Amino acid sequence: MSQFLEYIKMALFNILSNKVRSLLTMLGIVIGISSVILIMALGNGAKESITEQLSTVGNGQVMILSMGNERITIEDLEYIQTHIEGVQAYLVTSMPDGTITTPKGSFTGYAYGCNENNYLFEQYSTLSNGHYFTKEDYDMGRMVCYLAEDDAIKLFGNTDVIGMPIDIEIHGKILSYTIVGLTSYINESNAISYDYENAPIYLNVPLSTLNQKLGLDAIQIQGYTDATLMLASDIDTQDTCNQIIRILESRHDCLGEDQFMFQSFNDILATINIVINMITLFIALVAAISLFVGGIGVMNIMLVSVTERTREIGIRKALGAKTRSIMLQFLLESGFITMVGGILGILIGLGGAYALSTIISMAMPDYAFTPSISLTVILITTLFSSTVGLFFGIYPARKAAKLSPIEALRRM
Amino acid sequence: MESLIHIEHIMKIYNPGENEVRALDNVTLDITTGEFVAIIGQSGSGKSTLMNILGCLDVPTSGTYILSGENVSALSDNALSDIRNRKIGFIFQGFNLIPNLSALENVMLPLIYRGVPMKERQAFAQEALKIVGLEHRIHHKPSELSGGQQQRVAIARAIAAKPPIILADEPTGNLDSSSTKEIMNILHELHESGRTVILITHDNQIAANAKRVVKIMDGKIESDTTND
Repeated sequence: MSQFLEYIKMALFNILSNKVRSLLTMLGIVIGISSVILIMALGNGAKESITEQLSTVGNGQVMILSMGNERITIEDLEYIQTHIEGVQAYLVTSMPDGTITTPKGSFTGYAYGCNENNYLFEQYSTLSNGHYFTKEDYDMGRMVCYLAEDDAIKLFGNTDVIGMPIDIEIHGKILSYTIVGLTSYINESNAISYDYENAPIYLNVPLSTLNQKLGLDAIQIQGYTDATLMLASDIDTQDTCNQIIRILESRHDCLGEDQFMFQSFNDILATINIVINMITLFIALVAAISLFVGGIGVMNIMLVSVTERTREIGIRKALGAKTRSIMLQFLLESGFITMVGGILGILIGLGGAYALSTIISMAMPDYAFTPSISLTVILITTLFSSTVGLFFGIYPARKAAKLSPIEALRRM
Repeated sequence: MESLIHIEHIMKIYNPGENEVRALDNVTLDITTGEFVAIIGQSGSGKSTLMNILGCLDVPTSGTYILSGENVSALSDNALSDIRNRKIGFIFQGFNLIPNLSALENVMLPLIYRGVPMKERQAFAQEALKIVGLEHRIHHKPSELSGGQQQRVAIARAIAAKPPIILADEPTGNLDSSSTKEIMNILHELHESGRTVILITHDNQIAANAKRVVKIMDGKIESDTTND
């Protein structure tokens, strides 16, 4: 044991007496480790932030899609809502897009057709003025709508729009609504994806007004390719969705034909996470290559060091150093270099991640997020860097240890 | 008296086959404890090969080497390291000090490999440096010392672990005449104090310091004479 301490001292002494070289060797490892840590920290942070934002938006939402020629009708949706427990609201989007013309100009817009529980979809907004439409509005097919404050400013230049008429032209038909409500975002950061300049404008209207059901002069839409349902939070999403699909299939007489499918928001979230994970992994692999290159750098320098110190090795062996002692000395040297490099790399990587996220949050507050790194990643990276040190140290160390003392001493 | 070193029919053959070189050809030699032996020969005579084998730095192709009762002719690399550490103190022509270690640290090296604890190691090394008259230079690096002083550090290193044999390979080859005298005096003193000294040289004048002179030529012992 005391012998081992001696070898540690020797290794440290040698590292310290070649400071510049040791630092340069370390640099490769530092860059490798710090980029792995940096990327993992940023990637995880971004993922957590995205997951958090999406979960506030889409929680409980399920999308039903028609995969074939069958269309989801308003009657289907009404049936589903009344017959399946936990289905609270449904929403369809008028397709194709429409045009809204105001004194401010012409805008692309969609009508969101919804039942009376429309407010349930406003998870990230709150009513700032007026009211949502009611069951009576729905049942009577009243031409009322509500929209976001920001959209009102775009359309009219102010938010004093309650009671004002608004026309949207869809499919060549002009639908004239009256604005009854305005919503505003609860949290500005959730507005990221909605605030770009040419974003379409969404009018939230009773679904009945988009449909011929009431004999109104509505657009000729027989059905929709997709619909979004809002489920109660205390029910089994999977189970409920399967029931919904079965109802749709029996109503459309296509049992077992896979005409309809569903996608819950949690599925989408999982898919997004997979994509982010893959990107993070990919970049981490690229960074790992630089770590590998750093390892080869260590090996290179250690080999040079062995050649340079051949004579010293000869002397040590003549004085009684065993193969094992020389091996240990050189391995400890490369091990120390990679270990210190690894620690520096972790610190620099974390520091860099926090610095970058601070810069991002200052420059682009909308994209702000906190980097996050797990202890496991740090441990794995440390383990990897010491393995690199040992692996790439073994060859030079063996080469040094196997030198015959006469050969080594003969070289002047 | 029992032999400290006993070698018998030692052969060392390089390039076995058609162009073989017999560096040592059937050499038999006995050295007793307390002797001061000079091994003399021209370059290429085989004296360096003999010194490597005596110093356990190399193994013979054939023959027997008994070192203080232990057969060392067929030991493993690691076992030979151990023998060198315990039995032999080397003094080289080129001093062979480690440049970035101080005099004291250089002298402590063989003690580290023997596993002597720090305090004792320091005491032994200081004692050895005192014997060679360098007690006031222990923290100097080799580059801060003269050639003669460097060789004295090397001698201190050779005796620090108190090995029974001092093996000096052309110890004065790189030194001026006054340093040479100094070093030879130290070797004499070491011999007086009971150590076995083996001196390898090509210089008859240096060899004349020894009590016994063994002359090597073409890998064979040509003469083995005792001085008075």
